[in-house]
Amino acid sequence: MRLNSLLLSLVPAALASSAFAFDLQAIRVGRAETVSHGVIEHAVVLVEDGRIVAVGPDLPIERGIPVVDRPEWTVMPGLVLPYSRLGLDGRAGADFTPEVSPSPEILPRAEEYEEVLSYGITTLGLYPPGNGVPGQAVAIRPKGETLEEMRIKEGAYLKVYFRADARSKKTVKDAWAKVDEHDEKVAKAKEKWTKDQKGKGAKTEEKKDEAKPDEKKDEKAADAKGADSKAKEFVPPAADPKVKPFLRVRDGKMLPLVSISSAADWAHWLDAIGERKFDFALRVVMQRELDLYEVHDEIVKRKCMLVMEPELSYTTATMRQRNLPAEFANAGNKVVLIPRGEDLASHETWRADVGEMVKNGMKREDALKSMTVHAAALMGLDKDYGTLEKGKVANLLFLNGDPLEPGTKVVAVMLDGAFVHGEVRQ
Amino acid sequence: MKFSTMLARSARTLAVAALAVPVFAQDPAGGEGQAGGAAGADATKKDEGEWFAVVNGDVYSGTGAVLRGATVLARGGVIRKIGHDLEIPADAKVLDAQGLRIYPGLVALNARGIASRFGGGEFADTFDPYSQNLVLALAAGITTVSDSGVAVKLKRREVKGVVVRERYQSTLSYSSAAPRGKSELDAKFEAAARYLRDYRDWEEQKKTNKDLKEPAARGVDPTIRSILENRSMARFNAANRSDLLGIARLAQKYKFRPIIEGALEGWTVADELGRAGAYAVVVPRARRDKSEELLRDGGSSIENAAILHRSGVQVAIQATSTFIDLGGIAGRDVLHLPIEAGFAVRGGLPEQAAIEGITIVPARILGVEHRIGSIEVGKDCDLILLDGDLLHYQALVQYTVVDGKLVYEKDKELYYAHIRPRPAAQPTDAPEARRDKGEEKPADDDTPTEGGDEKPEGKPAETPEDKPKDGAADEAVDEG
Repeated sequence: MRLNSLLLSLVPAALASSAFAFDLQAIRVGRAETVSHGVIEHAVVLVEDGRIVAVGPDLPIERGIPVVDRPEWTVMPGLVLPYSRLGLDGRAGADFTPEVSPSPEILPRAEEYEEVLSYGITTLGLYPPGNGVPGQAVAIRPKGETLEEMRIKEGAYLKVYFRADARSKKTVKDAWAKVDEHDEKVAKAKEKWTKDQKGKGAKTEEKKDEAKPDEKKDEKAADAKGADSKAKEFVPPAADPKVKPFLRVRDGKMLPLVSISSAADWAHWLDAIGERKFDFALRVVMQRELDLYEVHDEIVKRKCMLVMEPELSYTTATMRQRNLPAEFANAGNKVVLIPRGEDLASHETWRADVGEMVKNGMKREDALKSMTVHAAALMGLDKDYGTLEKGKVANLLFLNGDPLEPGTKVVAVMLDGAFVHGEVRQ
Repeated sequence: MKFSTMLARSARTLAVAALAVPVFAQDPAGGEGQAGGAAGADATKKDEGEWFAVVNGDVYSGTGAVLRGATVLARGGVIRKIGHDLEIPADAKVLDAQGLRIYPGLVALNARGIASRFGGGEFADTFDPYSQNLVLALAAGITTVSDSGVAVKLKRREVKGVVVRERYQSTLSYSSAAPRGKSELDAKFEAAARYLRDYRDWEEQKKTNKDLKEPAARGVDPTIRSILENRSMARFNAANRSDLLGIARLAQKYKFRPIIEGALEGWTVADELGRAGAYAVVVPRARRDKSEELLRDGGSSIENAAILHRSGVQVAIQATSTFIDLGGIAGRDVLHLPIEAGFAVRGGLPEQAAIEGITIVPARILGVEHRIGSIEVGKDCDLILLDGDLLHYQALVQYTVVDGKLVYEKDKELYYAHIRPRPAAQPTDAPEARRDKGEEKPADDDTPTEGGDEKPEGKPAETPEDKPKDGAADEAVDEG
């Protein structure tokens, strides 16, 4: 087996090279929900330095490595809850403050974090409060003495509250107008810079009058000659802090998470952004009647990630039940399911609530991803979080059964390679 | 392709011609005459967009003309041709209206809760193109509403271009109940009229005497000025004879055309209102007792709309409730405009005037009659297809078309699909088959057998017999 040989070659190396050999530990469980590669029976997860080193069935474990051997356990990646106000209580209006982070609101060691950690939530995305564009989310681990210890990533996504009204549309249009303004400024500065470079570098060639069309060619020329005259790199003028987040959005470095509550909101959002091309995710507030199925095809076509509660809804004006999260997931959209409420109890029943969606037509695989790797992807963290794969952060959730069954309990939680919850004997 | 050329003459003239000489209307030569001559005005319209055709229907254009078994051809949401033997482009979406009547989409004045959930203007930003109320309105044949004075097109699944015209009415109050306000308004009109007179004089004399000072516009009420300059319309809410008379005289004095909402006692002063060129927005089923203090005529009359119309007043018809009312006064809400209009017909209003009262007249009141309110070349392709006479209580809207797009199909929506379902239509998807059929059609079209087939659906002939029974009961309730 490939994994075996890999493990064998890897383990001694790790032992030899690492001064903290005891960092390496193995966990043998009855079942592993890898999320990325299906289920592995009799799985062994090897963890070192807070990362998963290997996952596989019945891997031989080198002698000397501490082993947690619990065949009755199931392991899955720690849950990722990307959309939360847990432990924060700030309130705000409908301002345009895209530069804001909720970090200053965070109180390390708040009870709530410890509580949800015990439910298996190992990564949280906290967003700033308010309507309009209240700011950017911060990804944290729910344990730490200081903010620095907790913080994983600032600017995880940009929260945008959008409703079909004049104010929301104006906010969005104005924001992008400022981006255009900035781009223009940069273009002008670059033109000027290019001219200056030419002036310095090539005195013999008088091409000062040449304008934009040849800009690129000039640039190259300027670069070549600039090297001689030790010209500096072009430094674009700094962007306004309120523009910066949108530049990141435009460049695909951050997703905006757009909150909508009806098909009409969607239609007006599209109208507001016009022809601009950028990826965005949708936060859909689930209600009893939600007419989002009206725009199902458009949302599927745009491949939007959706953040919704695991709840069923009805076709408007009827008693026809529908499972919107499943409809979108089955169509290929990434669906992130979050707890139904902000109370702790909802966090505790989160897995079971998602299981409910599986009983109503959602694929099991999509349901598991909705709480792990898709949730991480929303924050741009799916490289490191959300699955049981080699190289990922060792955030593990151990359960006494099927994660999507209501009766299943959390028996242990590992955060960054350390058990933080549950009684674990080695 | 021929279709880029537009009609030179208005569809109205053509339609009338078609009515007068139906045999000639189907003559291919007649068709060619229609196609000839591109009008300069129409050439400026966008020559793009999807083709849409409604074929085989009886086109009740709303102008008084009826074209039986005709085709309405639209592109980019604008009607390009109406007539027989039209060549339909292969890529056109075609709706077969065999056995159906085609009317212009209805215009509901002061409708609330349809254009957006919360109302309050800014419809370009709040319009809900997926709302149930919107579908219900389309099912009732309404394709344009005015809410807060703004004319809004009921597009479905689209938010672009829903606002046809921003508010351009100015609501004024001129009532003997508030004598001070009345005299103030008098003064404002006087001042604005004097200013405009002075301004015109100045413009005239300026040519010879350049030193002449421009008259000062200070103190001139901008609203009143815009009314007198025809930039906005004055809208009043009045029911009393004396108030109506006052408004009529004010309008006659300052030469503007007032819109009067209510006008319950309008029939008592109809000639004065007619002379003022007034628009009246009436609720034919509204009732009110005569004031016993007065010797003169008063109170409501079932003939109100008819008398106003006869006196030259443009009558628009509105329902008792401007909301969609599914409880309480269901049947008298905005979804029942044609029934409301039917009551005016009972009172003597010609059917044509009743139809105009829920189409072109409200369109004029909103200042959108150049686009909306009748089926004519160059206008928006807003059509409703019914299985009978629009004013008949049994007729149901089968299809609604807004801007050349099919937005409502009775058989496919929740609400009325189960009521008198129509037999499955013949598929007319293949353009080849369509054209072949079209070539054969003219000969068959007017044969009585074909018409006979349509009768059971339409039942226009039974209308007068059925109505009194139903109406008598209703009126008894009203008065009792």
